[in-house]
Amino acid sequence: MAILSWMIFLPILTSIALFLLPLGLRATKLLSLAASLGVAALSLWLYGHFEPTAAMQFVEHTPWIPPYGISYHVGVDGVSLPLVMMVALLMPLIGIGLYNRDRKGVWLNLLLAQGGIMGAVLALDLMLFYLFWETMLLPIFFLIGLYGYGRHHFITMKFTIYTIFGSLMMLVGILFVAVTYYQQTGSFSFALDDLKTITLSQREALFAFAAFMLAFAIKVPLFPFHTWLSDTYRSAPTGAVVVLSALMAKLGVYAIWRFLFTLFDATSHDLDIWFVALGLFGLIYFGIVAIRQQHIKRLFAYSSASHLSLMVVGIFIYDQYGLTGAAYLIAAHALASGGLFIMVGMMYERTRTHAIDAMGGIATTAPRFALFFALFSLAIVGVPGTAGFVAELLIILGAFHTHPVVGFVSATTILIAMLFMFNLLTRTLYGKPAASAKPFEDLRPNEIVALVPIALLILAMGIFPNLFLKKIEPTVEASITAAKVHHAK
Amino acid sequence: MPSDFSIALIVPLIILGTALLILLLGESKYYTKQRAHLLSLGAVVGSLLLLQGDLFAAHSALLNRELFNGMLIYDTFATLFMTLFLIGGAMTLSVGHAFIDKAPYFRAEAFVLLLLALFGMLLLAMAHELFSALVALEIASMSVYILVGLNREHRLSAEAFFKYLVLGAFMGSFYLLGMALIYAQSGSTHLGEIAAYIAVHPLNELYLVIAGGMLIMTTVLFKIAAVPFGIWVLDVYEGASLPVTAFMAGAFKIAVFAIALRIFIVDYLYLQQYYTPLLTAAAIVTIVAGSLSAVTQSSVRRMLAASSIVHSGYLLIGLASMGSIGSSAASAILFYLIAYMFSAVGSFGILSYIARGSSRPLTYEDLKGLASHHPLIALSLSVFMLSLAGFPSTIGFLGKFYIFTGAIESGLTWLALLGALAAFVSIYYYFRVIAMLYFHPAEDTKQHYGYPLSFAVILLSAVAVLWGGIGTGLMTLIPGADVLTDIARESIRSLHLL
Repeated sequence: MAILSWMIFLPILTSIALFLLPLGLRATKLLSLAASLGVAALSLWLYGHFEPTAAMQFVEHTPWIPPYGISYHVGVDGVSLPLVMMVALLMPLIGIGLYNRDRKGVWLNLLLAQGGIMGAVLALDLMLFYLFWETMLLPIFFLIGLYGYGRHHFITMKFTIYTIFGSLMMLVGILFVAVTYYQQTGSFSFALDDLKTITLSQREALFAFAAFMLAFAIKVPLFPFHTWLSDTYRSAPTGAVVVLSALMAKLGVYAIWRFLFTLFDATSHDLDIWFVALGLFGLIYFGIVAIRQQHIKRLFAYSSASHLSLMVVGIFIYDQYGLTGAAYLIAAHALASGGLFIMVGMMYERTRTHAIDAMGGIATTAPRFALFFALFSLAIVGVPGTAGFVAELLIILGAFHTHPVVGFVSATTILIAMLFMFNLLTRTLYGKPAASAKPFEDLRPNEIVALVPIALLILAMGIFPNLFLKKIEPTVEASITAAKVHHAK
Repeated sequence: MPSDFSIALIVPLIILGTALLILLLGESKYYTKQRAHLLSLGAVVGSLLLLQGDLFAAHSALLNRELFNGMLIYDTFATLFMTLFLIGGAMTLSVGHAFIDKAPYFRAEAFVLLLLALFGMLLLAMAHELFSALVALEIASMSVYILVGLNREHRLSAEAFFKYLVLGAFMGSFYLLGMALIYAQSGSTHLGEIAAYIAVHPLNELYLVIAGGMLIMTTVLFKIAAVPFGIWVLDVYEGASLPVTAFMAGAFKIAVFAIALRIFIVDYLYLQQYYTPLLTAAAIVTIVAGSLSAVTQSSVRRMLAASSIVHSGYLLIGLASMGSIGSSAASAILFYLIAYMFSAVGSFGILSYIARGSSRPLTYEDLKGLASHHPLIALSLSVFMLSLAGFPSTIGFLGKFYIFTGAIESGLTWLALLGALAAFVSIYYYFRVIAMLYFHPAEDTKQHYGYPLSFAVILLSAVAVLWGGIGTGLMTLIPGADVLTDIARESIRSLHLL
């Protein structure tokens, strides 16, 4: 096995082994932490050795079900690299930051989720992608159902059924594309590179595009497929929320670019205006809904949805800045929202509540907590000096480049994010402590260890963006050039 | 010309027959329940081991012409089905050990009947002639009827027995009539000769053959519990004791496909245009009605029974899409049958393992908390549920994948879409089981189920279901998903060798 396979299967195999071995809680925690740290170390090596070119790198290709042309085919390029890094780096930090979770199942399921998401990001074969795309749902299903809050049994079913509906439509789309390839070439293949060569009539392409888009739009979620969102985030335990918001949702955005733009380039181009509009609408709509929330996790759910809509805008404007910004925002937002959700988990541990009104004055008793919380919030807003600023600026530049109106509307994201974030900060960190609340305990050492890398990375990505952008840009350039050439024909 | 025979080819049948006779004649103090159980299991496993060499390449031979007059054939197709039946039988006997041991009404004759059913099914897989197929089918059916009614004391069991017997005998007569019509026109009941007759006559002269085919199809639809002929399945699966249900759902149901596919592919492929609309309609009705009925059940057994109707619907999609592409859809059906056999026998088997001889209906609530007391059993049941739901990384997913691919290939994309919708609905009722297993605390204290053989076979089948979904023969020597795909293709190829 080469490095990418290790990154996918190390967590999965560890999880299976830990399930079967009768180990105590402590050993389970340490071993699963070791596995995720191992993946993180591998990812750092990968990052160091990733050549800043447009080519697909570290490719592994083995036949799997030869009669149908299905193969185990993985690889990483500039656009998937940020997401790969996030999947690898955030997981151990979740583990360290929330080390007190004394449920074995949480650790096992988080490892499974990590492997599944990693596989889906790296897959270059549509069946392999579908396999990981579906299986990564299972650990989330269990995490919410076993350890969630409120009506979590109902909500985990709703979430699972909702997302699987999209996936199954995508499956029909995948099969349709593959069968078309078979009819046009005489042999089966599910490799992305093969399938993009097929020619579809406009109607067929639209049908297949819709089937794929449904799955991705539900996962992101794009307006109007967001109805699962706030309940699921509210009920999910912290680990699951971090995975959902920081990683899985980004995977949806990434998959739109990776699969839809590759397979149905013409259709995506024809429909881009609609999705830009949908994204812009979602950006404002989710932002306004977020302002009104009283439940902190619901607030972050909608705030994430708002920024994810911005990423969708960034890729659908077919602009170099837009796509670079979207890829950068995937990492920036994953870091900031991951950090915030981890901190929400810590808050809940201390106050046993998620109601914003029940908190207040945290900054007076827990200055370090307040510092990190404020930093992550500012990164979400996109204040200069944080990673979010660079990413959002790039997208907004690209948007202005496309059309001034698009640019103007996407620029409102900073304003809206400011509204809900500053509102939240004043109500939680400052003001008077809630009367009944106990003094808020400041960060413990393990929590600081978990949060410092996130904070440093956010700052580094904000202050020295070129260090990171140079890995992304070649792929983006090649992709945009190819799309322009294709469309000019 | 096919190579002429050696008697070695029917050794599995002979072994089963011998075991059966020993039990039947020797039912005495010596053959206690334990010994009878062991003897039957040994006979089944022994026959199974004998078959293995012949699975991997397409071959075909008529059995001794002097003795059988070309009525029996031994090809890869038959081998595959015989293997499946024997695995199904072996799984039933071993997983069901816990139940069989505890239930007083399982006496030596139960094993005789099970072996007789297997004997009939094996014969059915080899039948190359309509009449011998009918005889084989009736041997198997009669044994299964009685197995359903084994628990005489129980009201539901008796009801199931009568319902199944009366309807089954009635529907069997359709087959007889269809056979008569086909014989009236083509002058033969031998599949090869019918095929030759169809090939040289224009389609618009074949009225009786077409009508006869439809009548036979009616019987097949009844046996696989397709709507509107499948109403019996809920009551019968609920009334029969759980090991018998496992056997019926997993092994006996696919036995009907052995003959249906053979007739269909060998004889009726040219006439497909007459049947596609009917099969399509049957697939739609079956899937919709089955899904609706599965969603509303409150007992796990009835839910599984109703969901088996939906699975028949998927198989009908496969049959309907055979028209324009032939063999690819046919091998998809075979793969689906393999997948379904493991998952169905496994899930009913686990229920029988948990029920331990009791005949009360298992509700969803009965599964509560199983995960905290018996994590491996719960995990296996979850794997079977995922496989039945067609979740990727299980063998059930590949089954659906091939069926849908075949449907799209033959232009029935919307039928594949319907199948995907049904799979979506099925997520609800299968995941409900998983939710019950994991999300609720146990209501009673931990029970020790014992029976290590049953336990081991359950685990082994769960691993097989996973390995069949993700495994690849390139990694190890154990046949994985790709090898099973090859076997299914070779089996279909072997049908055209003669």
